[in-house]
Amino acid sequence: MGSLRPYLEFARLAFQRRATYRLANWTGVAVNFFFLLIHAQVLLGFFRARSDAAGWQPNEAVLYFAASESLLMVIGIFPDYRYNLAERVRTGEIVTDLLRPVTLYGRDLAERLGSALYYLLTRAPAVFGAGWLVYGLLPPLRWELLLFPLSLALAIAVCGALFFLACSSAFWRESASGELSAVVFVNTFLGGVFVPLDFYPEALRWVADVLPFRATLYTPVAIVTGKLTGGALAFGLLHQGVWAVALAGVCSALEARGLRRIAAHGG
Amino acid sequence: MASAGLRSQMQYRGSFAVRSVIDFGVVISDLAPVWVLARFFGHLDGWSFAELALLYGMVASSWGIVEVVLRGFENFSIYLVRGDLDRLLLRPRSLVLQVAALEFEARKLARIAQAVVVLGLALWTLRLGPQSFAWVALGVAGGTLCFGGIVMLGAGMAFVTLGESSELQNILTYGGSAALSYPVSIYGTWFRRAITYGVPLAFVNYFPALAALGRTEAAGWPSYLPWLSPLACLACLCVGLLAFGLGLRRYESTGS
Repeated sequence: MGSLRPYLEFARLAFQRRATYRLANWTGVAVNFFFLLIHAQVLLGFFRARSDAAGWQPNEAVLYFAASESLLMVIGIFPDYRYNLAERVRTGEIVTDLLRPVTLYGRDLAERLGSALYYLLTRAPAVFGAGWLVYGLLPPLRWELLLFPLSLALAIAVCGALFFLACSSAFWRESASGELSAVVFVNTFLGGVFVPLDFYPEALRWVADVLPFRATLYTPVAIVTGKLTGGALAFGLLHQGVWAVALAGVCSALEARGLRRIAAHGG
Repeated sequence: MASAGLRSQMQYRGSFAVRSVIDFGVVISDLAPVWVLARFFGHLDGWSFAELALLYGMVASSWGIVEVVLRGFENFSIYLVRGDLDRLLLRPRSLVLQVAALEFEARKLARIAQAVVVLGLALWTLRLGPQSFAWVALGVAGGTLCFGGIVMLGAGMAFVTLGESSELQNILTYGGSAALSYPVSIYGTWFRRAITYGVPLAFVNYFPALAALGRTEAAGWPSYLPWLSPLACLACLCVGLLAFGLGLRRYESTGS
């Protein structure tokens, strides 16, 4: 696979690219904050209806959502519809990519990590800080928080792999926007973006625990909220690790086959 | 103009279908978490899932219609900055109609259809009478006027701010739609007042829905209030039209 340097370079470029959209970043914080306010009040409204809620206190649910909203951009829950692998395949730019000493998947992951670092330093604390100002929310200081960086990194990897899979359909079809959107929808629901998986009906919860989507958001956010401990925590991290490796394998395989197909078609 | 755009889009039938699927997914992914929460907690401030779906269907229909019909106004700042406006002013046709027809997207019709389906399912589940139907229809119509006014106000402001205020417009429209998917009663005092007396968003779907469900007085409002909805929404539209007109006159007078 060669040295790490080109990957670090891609990560750095992705970081810088995000940093240049300064106004968009501030308005993005405003949007995140607005939705945080709305959905926090919705959650609190629901909690008024029932005193016993699967062991969750109202403020814990709001903390969950605040953490979720803060980390959305870090984990990369929403893909860039204009600048992604599928678009590069469609326009033919992919040909220049093949000249570089990096794998497409590796590059994609490096860029995601670079963007993630930018948002981790800016958007995440801004939105989370705003949540703290309004609701006084702070994650409980438990030793499990030490595992959060690992969980976050795995989440970014799994999320990136899912979108890479969606984009790779562009090797065989005209565009991947349908697949990308499908991933977004399924991921927000089964990944627990708005509602912690603890509130899902049992059958759905079982499905959600098997599929990779909870690895993108529910696991890291639940760790921050302090709701994932002991055996459940171990399962969550294991689930993330297994899916990260498995999806990375599938992505590499698809990349190889996709590139062969392009080459065969005179790309 | 709109039909020309429609015809060119229908040519790419494959991607049209794909993009319709995308819009279909939006409605489901909007309602799915609400369904989960409503199932677990039972209700939100006394509103069942079907009633919440009613609120959602109403505001999604109103906003969906405005998104299709007035998309040119929604993205007005882009055309203004690009200088497209001058080209339109030269044509011997109503400027408002021309701007409205810009970027007409057929797939957004699918979004309206889905919102209406949700509305229909909610109404059927709740077994509401014809009077309630009328309230819902009135609410959707009023909501369209209100969102239309906001979008035109945004376009009017674009003459001055050249696109820097578009996020504010998005918060009122997309954010407003999201906020209105739930009963206004759950929000804190200042927010509730802002979207009732400030921007009349509560008149888009909340008050008509209260009337449709026969719960106006139970929610603490005088029974005549829902009747003010069309007036409030019309006022919002008038403000928008005025703002756009003023902005346009200012633009034309600065010699371009």
